Amino acid sequence: MSGPSPASAPDAILLRTSINGDAVSVAVEPHHTLLEVLRYQLDLIGSKQGCDKGDCGACTVQIDGKPALACLTLAVHAEGRAVTTVEGLGDAHGGCHPLQDAFDRHDAAQCGFCTPGILMSADSLLRRNPRPVSRDEVREALAGNLCRCTGYTKILDAVVDASEVMHGHGSDDAKKEVAQ
Amino acid sequence: MLRLPRFGVQTPDTLEDAVAALAQPGARLVAGGTDILPNLKHRLDQPPVLVSLSRVASLREIREEDGNLVIGAGVTLTEIAEHDRVRALFPSVAYAAGVIASPLIRNMGTLGGNVNLDTRCRYVNQTHFWRTAIGGCLKSEGDVCHVVPKGRICVAAMSSDLVPVLGSLGSTLVNQGPDGPRELPLLDYYGADGTAHIKREPGEVTREVRIPLPSTPTRARYAKWTVRKSIDFPLVSVAINVQLASDSVDAEVTGVSVVVGVLGSKPRVVTRLDEVIGRKLSDATVAHTVATRVHAQCKPLENVPYEAPYRRQMIRVFAQRAIEEMVAEG
Amino acid sequence: MSEHDEPMPTHETGGHVGGVHRKVDAMERMRGVTRYTDDLKLPRMLHAKIKRSPHPHAKILSIDASAALAMPGVHAVITGRDLPTPYGIIPWTPDETALCVEKALYVGDGIACVAADDEDTAIEALEKIDVKYEVLEPLYDPEQALERRDNQINPYSRKGNLSKKVLLEFGDIDGTLEQSDLVVEGDYFFEGTTHAAIEPHCAVAHVEPSGVLTVWSATQVSHYLHRELAKVLDMPANRIRVIQPPLGGAFGGKSEPFDLEFCVAKLALMTGRPVKLLYTREEVFYSHRGRHPMKMKYRTGFTKDGKITAVDAFTILDGGAYSSFGLVTTYYSGQLLCAPYGFDAYRFHSRRAYTNKPACGPKRGHGSVQPRFAIECQIDKAAEQLGLDPIDMRLHNDIGPNAQTVNEFRVGSNGFSECLRRVRASSSWDAKRKELPYGRGLGVAGSTYISGTNYPIYPNDMPQAAVQITLDRSGRARVFSGANDIGQGSNTMLAVIAGNELGLPLEHIRVLSADTDLCPVDLGAYSSRITLMVGNACLEAAQKLRRQVTTAVGKRWDVPRKRVTLADGQAIDREDPERNVPLAEAFQWAEADEGLLSATGSYNTPKDRHGDYRGGTIGASPAYSFTAHVAEVDVDRSTGIVDVKTIWVAHDCGRALSRKIVEGQMEGSAYMGFAEAIMEQHIVDPGHNGVHPGPSLLDYRLPTFLDTPDLEALIVESPDAQGPYGAKEAGEGPLHPSIPAIANAIYDAVGVRMDSLPFTPPRVLAAIEARAAREKAGELEPHKPTLGGAQETA
Repeated sequence: MSGPSPASAPDAILLRTSINGDAVSVAVEPHHTLLEVLRYQLDLIGSKQGCDKGDCGACTVQIDGKPALACLTLAVHAEGRAVTTVEGLGDAHGGCHPLQDAFDRHDAAQCGFCTPGILMSADSLLRRNPRPVSRDEVREALAGNLCRCTGYTKILDAVVDASEVMHGHGSDDAKKEVAQ
Repeated sequence: MLRLPRFGVQTPDTLEDAVAALAQPGARLVAGGTDILPNLKHRLDQPPVLVSLSRVASLREIREEDGNLVIGAGVTLTEIAEHDRVRALFPSVAYAAGVIASPLIRNMGTLGGNVNLDTRCRYVNQTHFWRTAIGGCLKSEGDVCHVVPKGRICVAAMSSDLVPVLGSLGSTLVNQGPDGPRELPLLDYYGADGTAHIKREPGEVTREVRIPLPSTPTRARYAKWTVRKSIDFPLVSVAINVQLASDSVDAEVTGVSVVVGVLGSKPRVVTRLDEVIGRKLSDATVAHTVATRVHAQCKPLENVPYEAPYRRQMIRVFAQRAIEEMVAEG
Repeated sequence: MSEHDEPMPTHETGGHVGGVHRKVDAMERMRGVTRYTDDLKLPRMLHAKIKRSPHPHAKILSIDASAALAMPGVHAVITGRDLPTPYGIIPWTPDETALCVEKALYVGDGIACVAADDEDTAIEALEKIDVKYEVLEPLYDPEQALERRDNQINPYSRKGNLSKKVLLEFGDIDGTLEQSDLVVEGDYFFEGTTHAAIEPHCAVAHVEPSGVLTVWSATQVSHYLHRELAKVLDMPANRIRVIQPPLGGAFGGKSEPFDLEFCVAKLALMTGRPVKLLYTREEVFYSHRGRHPMKMKYRTGFTKDGKITAVDAFTILDGGAYSSFGLVTTYYSGQLLCAPYGFDAYRFHSRRAYTNKPACGPKRGHGSVQPRFAIECQIDKAAEQLGLDPIDMRLHNDIGPNAQTVNEFRVGSNGFSECLRRVRASSSWDAKRKELPYGRGLGVAGSTYISGTNYPIYPNDMPQAAVQITLDRSGRARVFSGANDIGQGSNTMLAVIAGNELGLPLEHIRVLSADTDLCPVDLGAYSSRITLMVGNACLEAAQKLRRQVTTAVGKRWDVPRKRVTLADGQAIDREDPERNVPLAEAFQWAEADEGLLSATGSYNTPKDRHGDYRGGTIGASPAYSFTAHVAEVDVDRSTGIVDVKTIWVAHDCGRALSRKIVEGQMEGSAYMGFAEAIMEQHIVDPGHNGVHPGPSLLDYRLPTFLDTPDLEALIVESPDAQGPYGAKEAGEGPLHPSIPAIANAIYDAVGVRMDSLPFTPPRVLAAIEARAAREKAGELEPHKPTLGGAQETA
């Protein structure tokens, strides 16, 4: 029950994992979270730190396809798993995922700080539901991601729009812009 | 950034190896990490080594065995909430798992972590700096209780959503220790001291929870209230399981079990419910009687961050509504 | 379009204004490649942490850092004595120091700062700094603090615990109230709240070999930070560069210097190495500067037909440990109340007290959200007593366009009545309000807000905003602006204006902002000033360049300049559109004629729009926005839980330069107000040494996706002659009516007045039960008797 006091530093551990499809080997401190390793060792800065401990969702990444809080995941837990961060989100879509495009068209990112985490949760929702999704489904799926700027409205617009674009029911906005 | 203390991590592949690793002095278990890691960031403990269950595949099964549904301790809360058999057999379990914290926490958090969830208190789940400003407490660096002044026993709140539900269904818990497995009724696992509220023997790892398949028609429900509809820990937490003479809400009640969480350090089993036995569940006096008993016996404390008198009032309202909703659903 | 529309200047070029745009800097944020402050990593960078006071009020007797300094990996430790110069965002109230020098004034006040190889080492070093305190009696209650002349909290205060007092009186307040048909009296309490931007504060400092100090900071006021760094570090400002990297939200919470910026600068100067300091979320709560708790006593007079005659306001502000913007807040608590309703007599008496709490400051809707709650509830009470429809009553009191307020502010365009009509129609107010059963209700409220203030924080005659634009041979424009884009989209706003004037697509415009080495001075992102002020400066610069380009093209085509228009990336002959040339070539022609194409624009406020009395400039603005909300609620009579279903937000922003960005500001504002109404409160616990009861995003609950009502943004455009293309603000005004609209809707639903914030379930339930007891005793008629109100409570 003591406060912070120096402990002898345990040895670093070699972490072998896959990040955005790339095989990565990196020596990590056992007490470092995946978020720290991504941000400060691998310079994958898209995952954000907002609340320190799982209360805001800004650090959301996907581990084996499931959204998870990188700030509460020990780096060593990524051993042998596939980690996807926002930097890899567009990889299968020519660099720009339909969600990113929809967020851009709807001005769904204001400061953009929560956006990477929201995109990772939203992508998981859309992969689990290969069809247009409803606003209520989006609300449920994103309920662990806080946004302080938007009042969530434009994010709901964008995720629903992206799901429609991905399944052939392109929104008017998207069609208009494509036509231009 | 709020940082973890320095520690080593071991990631055994089998339950036996995990039990062996846990024998190291001061070693702590980590599964999903959503409870222990914030607590370690808050420096509520400084273990030299964490034994991770992330690679123990045997804990991740759900199966039916000997008249029980057996859920492995490593199954995530999302998996429980979405599992077809759980939903069909024990809808209140699936529901409770699905309203824990947030989707992200549920993807990470496990059944084992949830039944072993540390007790929570507004004076404890804070940073080390914060606690020094109030001089600590029984559960941290001090020797006083801020919830019950002059209290000598910590009353931090048992805050698991699943424990009341699993308890209301008569579940048992299986822990694996150095001497093999130990099975006990889940509700017997909890004690009144919030600093050590679970009776986990040294070196034990929770292996599974066994829920007996119902022998009679039942109606079960979990009522939860929090300020927000996501992320929050429960502030009102009531699990109800009703056995019926036949599969209709107009059938007679043959048994009823009500377990309430977020009071003190153990779940409260509501007693003196016998008088509703023999009444039809749809008889409005059933809901009223149960709610009255719940209200009389459950006294929330100012341990979690919300007004206790209001929480007490709401336990009654939510208990009554839960039964009314069972009836309305038919 | 509102009926108050003035003729719009027709803009032949661009076509961007009023459209929908992809923001100039959003895609890189969504790809995760934008570098916010904590994403900066410099070679050999050290990490700093601040040791904070565990006491709410204590004298520092000694600080011994020798054990910390002796630790391997620790490079430097500083204390208040290393940075002893007091500073303050308001030049008249310099009452804080980078770290405490003599006293700690709240739990979390900074005492010492360590720079080490990594954060873990820095944290361990903090524990080894031995601070001896003499604990002093803390004061938490502002009224009590004002009475306690024997216990002065802030050592730099000149008037004990009175931080600021303002008493202003216009017209015959007592006489008018006496003659009014109805006087409504009310006591209101607005609990403080905080900003909780998702990005925690962070700063990085680096000293170049030349000695120039660069500070990167998550700030929304880089210019003021620049000035205060120079003062506290005792360095010439021209040796300091401040850069604001892309920012993760602010809402007023990053609008003044904080301890971390001074600390990293000093530590970088001492160690010769780059230093970073990132706040924990807990520290963000301690830095605070959020909305002031206000205790408000109001008397409001009305005529029988619902005209407001007089407003008498008495307000106590709980300021916390430091002044922050408190001088301004104290004025704003009264000065911003004199529209959208006209009345002839007004008095406000506001006093701000020091207390042993985190300092309060400006949060979105600075100083006026609290009094707006009070006055809009007062009006609702009067409407009920007079048997008037609350929307009709507000329409009846609209001060209208081109008016002068009782405190002598000049209002230009005013779309308030249109805002009321829009929310009335969209919410189906007239039909629905009659029919909603007991437990369901609609409420309305209105408001106004400033588009920047007429005077800067430090007095000077220089422009309040300036923009430089350069055009280059590739057909690109670069816009240099000191303004801080904090997520509100100001960089995009500048690109829209420059692109509109120059006919450039937005992707051909680079906006370089908030770098004091590269950009002209701008005062920063506060008081909703950027669109109007910086937008005007940008417009001027862009128009100068447009003239140069069209002149050069006209010369080559041998046509008058005015026949040349710039649009869609081309210069086009208006009378022969087949004749056109790509802008890159047109820019080259102009550069050949004029030399390097660069123009500046600047903006200063008109100086004839404020009151001619002491304080009469504070709160005066070039242009005012107007807002109306209708909120629909569902109140559970057994639990007191208020479920806000929908908020309709109509906002007169003058002209929406970029529609979805404006809507986003309206929605985000309404959300933030809703959150304050229902669940947020930033308090300390007097029973436990003045600690913040929950300095985390778990315990300080921000509404999630599942908690937030549907928000319907209704843009109203009443162009103002002062704004660029008529534009006024949209970032803060739309917050104000959320709270009173919800309060008034709760009354409509269940017949209880919620005069204290937040409207938590226990409070609402207690009010419902109190009313039920009075109904039972025959003191009150049942509320909505024909719509379920007389039914037995469950």
